[in-house]
Amino acid sequence: MNAIECNNLTHYYGKKLVYENLNFHVEEGSILGLLGKNGSGKTTTINILNGFLQPRSGECLIYGENTQHLTPENKARIGFLIEGHIQYSFMNIHQIEKFYSGFYRKWDKEPYWELMSKLKVTPTQKISTMSCGQRSQVALGLILAQDPDLLILDDFSMGLDPGYRRLFIDYLREYAKSKNKTIFTTSHIIQDMERLIDDVLIMDYNRVLAQKKVDDFMQNFKQFYFELVDGSIDFSKEDFIANVEKVKNKVEIYTYESDVYVKSFLAKNGIGHKNFKKVEMGLEDAFIGLTGKY
Amino acid sequence: MWKSVIYKEWLKTRWFLIIYAAIGVLAVGRIFLKVQHDFTFNEATNFWYVILFQGYQYFGILKFLPALGGLIIAVSQFFPETVNKRIKLTFHLPIVENKVMIIMMLFGACCLLLTFGVVSLFFYGLSIIYFPHEIIHGALVTMTPWFLAGLAIYFLAALIILEPVWKFRFLYALVAVAFIPSVFFDDTITGGYSPANPVLFVLVIIMSTALLFSGYRFRKGEM
Amino acid sequence: MVRLSRYFLVIIAIIAFSVVIPKFYWMAFEKPVRSPFVMYSCVENDFMIQKSTQDGLVRTDTRGNNYTREQYEEKLPLMYMRQLMISGTMPDTINGVFMDAREINDERSTFRLRTRDLFTPDPGLYPMFESQSGRANLEMPDDYFRITWRMEFVDANTNKILEEKSRMFSAVLYNRGFDFPAKSINGIPTTRKSIDEGYLVIDSEDQLFHVKMIKGKPFVEKVEIPEGLKFKHISCVDFRNKRYYAYLFSEENDLYILTQDDYVLKKLPVDGLIPEEQEIKIYADYFHYNIISDGEGYMRSQILDADFNPVDEYSETWPVKMERTEGKIYKFLFPGELSLSNSNSNYNAFFLNLNKSINWLVLSLILIVIQFFIIKRRNEKFKNQIVDFTAILFTGIFGFLAVNIFPNKFFK
Repeated sequence: MNAIECNNLTHYYGKKLVYENLNFHVEEGSILGLLGKNGSGKTTTINILNGFLQPRSGECLIYGENTQHLTPENKARIGFLIEGHIQYSFMNIHQIEKFYSGFYRKWDKEPYWELMSKLKVTPTQKISTMSCGQRSQVALGLILAQDPDLLILDDFSMGLDPGYRRLFIDYLREYAKSKNKTIFTTSHIIQDMERLIDDVLIMDYNRVLAQKKVDDFMQNFKQFYFELVDGSIDFSKEDFIANVEKVKNKVEIYTYESDVYVKSFLAKNGIGHKNFKKVEMGLEDAFIGLTGKY
Repeated sequence: MWKSVIYKEWLKTRWFLIIYAAIGVLAVGRIFLKVQHDFTFNEATNFWYVILFQGYQYFGILKFLPALGGLIIAVSQFFPETVNKRIKLTFHLPIVENKVMIIMMLFGACCLLLTFGVVSLFFYGLSIIYFPHEIIHGALVTMTPWFLAGLAIYFLAALIILEPVWKFRFLYALVAVAFIPSVFFDDTITGGYSPANPVLFVLVIIMSTALLFSGYRFRKGEM
Repeated sequence: MVRLSRYFLVIIAIIAFSVVIPKFYWMAFEKPVRSPFVMYSCVENDFMIQKSTQDGLVRTDTRGNNYTREQYEEKLPLMYMRQLMISGTMPDTINGVFMDAREINDERSTFRLRTRDLFTPDPGLYPMFESQSGRANLEMPDDYFRITWRMEFVDANTNKILEEKSRMFSAVLYNRGFDFPAKSINGIPTTRKSIDEGYLVIDSEDQLFHVKMIKGKPFVEKVEIPEGLKFKHISCVDFRNKRYYAYLFSEENDLYILTQDDYVLKKLPVDGLIPEEQEIKIYADYFHYNIISDGEGYMRSQILDADFNPVDEYSETWPVKMERTEGKIYKFLFPGELSLSNSNSNYNAFFLNLNKSINWLVLSLILIVIQFFIIKRRNEKFKNQIVDFTAILFTGIFGFLAVNIFPNKFFK
């Protein structure tokens, strides 16, 4: 069963194409990270998922319902963290808990107060006067208390210092895994994602570059380094190569193929090279490798 | 759920509302301080005369008070929703989007009606000490478009504040600036608005749904 | 629901624009037209017409003679008596009658009734002056009366009803056959008049009563009026010759006067007076009554002699603003206009003034074509826009602006 299913999404801002015929889905119980450079349509996708944007064509379904008109029952199953941990900052932590508790049948204030007890805030302190990190804990606490089945987190790491980021991720993963929650998240700090996500969806301008299990992706996507004898040779047009970074005769190629395949390609085409080696990558390296530095 | 919505609206508006209601009551107090003063220093009969036959409006300082109230309540209620597009949180609540907006609108409208009611009752209560019902009736007929303008401004301000595109905010404001002064504040004499008041009432009712339009535009991703 | 809220906003915008845009148009382009000032010369027995033209003020008579200012004033000696006396050109006799300055003054009166005076909120309370106080000046009483189910006096100092006085007046009214409540109460509620004559009151059965207060006691006189005669407006007058109490306008658009003391209701031999459409002016002097009805684009002057016999009449028409250039252009621009006030009423209502030609449809059709292209550029379906097109068709420029300020997007 898919928690999220997007079919043939196409959207433009004015005449500028964001993406065309985008398809992806998120299985129930999985944690999916949406990666993409700025402007590749991450926020657009989040907005469509939350019903704040009507795509030019195509549709997104959450638990089988079009996100353009989600029923209240369905919305109660979705926890939503807005980019920057935006909340009703004119309230204090008591008021905001009281406010939200009126909306959700399954409201469980325990996890909220557990998080709040760790914050050094006064009971009457308005959220607007809190630090970014404290605000993120309030926003997270509210989502946990709501006990949703699907969490949509838009750039949760924004403005958080490393400690809070780690706290946020660990808490979240533990929570999601123990209660079989589905998470759809974006973040511009990819290192964070590595600790959190099961699946990765990588977007580039106008298209999807990859949707895979993170483990599969990390296993299959490889970087090879070698030095060319003749620095003028160009490989970038070859099908098996996802990306090439080349400085003079030093080459890094990114590919889903094995070292055997690459070596035989080089041999078959009589390309002289030396110092051939496989380079180990983190998720961030792989992301940059796939999408390019620019 | 509507109780929670109202709780949020109350948190946003309470101080503005209380201060505004206090201003309203003080304004009425000021009117009758002057009436009392003029009754003492001038003769009561002359005071009645200038009201009945020379168009003097002893309640004139109330003219733009409801308009001010409409603006204050609308800004205090909807401006915090637009900061960082916080309205997304409201739309994400497990309640039909239009219903949330209607509850918010009804809350603001009821706050205004309540303060207008308090101000009018206070005004009426003091008026019957000094004036016969002909004078009071004329005053109330004259004040009706002012109060209705307060509601109209509230509805239009909500529309403008919630609109996501600046160009359209400007255009809506243009409509409001054309509409409010020429319809609610046209040149008049005491009691002159009596034929127009029922129509104004209907117009104000139909304007009450205005915020649904800009809310919908927000949800469809206009920017 | 949202679609409905959009339609409501479009309606509001159409109302706003149909009030404001034509108003700005007239402010920018309307040229003033003054109706001619027509007086009757007792010297020439002809009309003296003064009007402003491109060459300035022109003074003529009906035979085409032109007059200088001095000549003009000499033809109207009763009107310009003071000026003629200074110039030394005031005749001693006119039409064989010796001219006494005091008498001229006493017989001279002007009266003006604007349409808006008919449509104005009723104060409901009136001061009852003491008409024989023995003092030189009238004094403002401390109480005001209303005539509802009885005649009530309310004391301004205490805001309480004066029971005794109220009962006394009510009883007399009742005994004279007054049918409560009053339909209209007409008088001159000011101390700045030569003498008080109280009020002419119409009761609920359209009977006419004269009510005043003499030495604190009620004076009530029922005026005999012909069966079926109803007055729509009564203007009490305070003229020096004290010949009559009021000019009375009947439902049949007849003009009456009510003579003083003997209460004779006299119908004047004039016609075509419609106070709802015209400004009525009555200039009276020793020899004549000049009854002028000023309508939109026309005026008429009817002359009666001092005994109310018809003498002469004059009328003139001129192009109204809709027939002039600015009006002709207007007809191509706007389907009509809405206004909250009207020069003919003291009330504020939604006065709708529709364009009587169909020239404005040309602009509507042009705007529909433009809208067609706007819709096409937005890639919207035309069948979703039928209401918008209809709005533009019937409200022209107002609807065009309205539907584009509140655009019909996202509605499937």
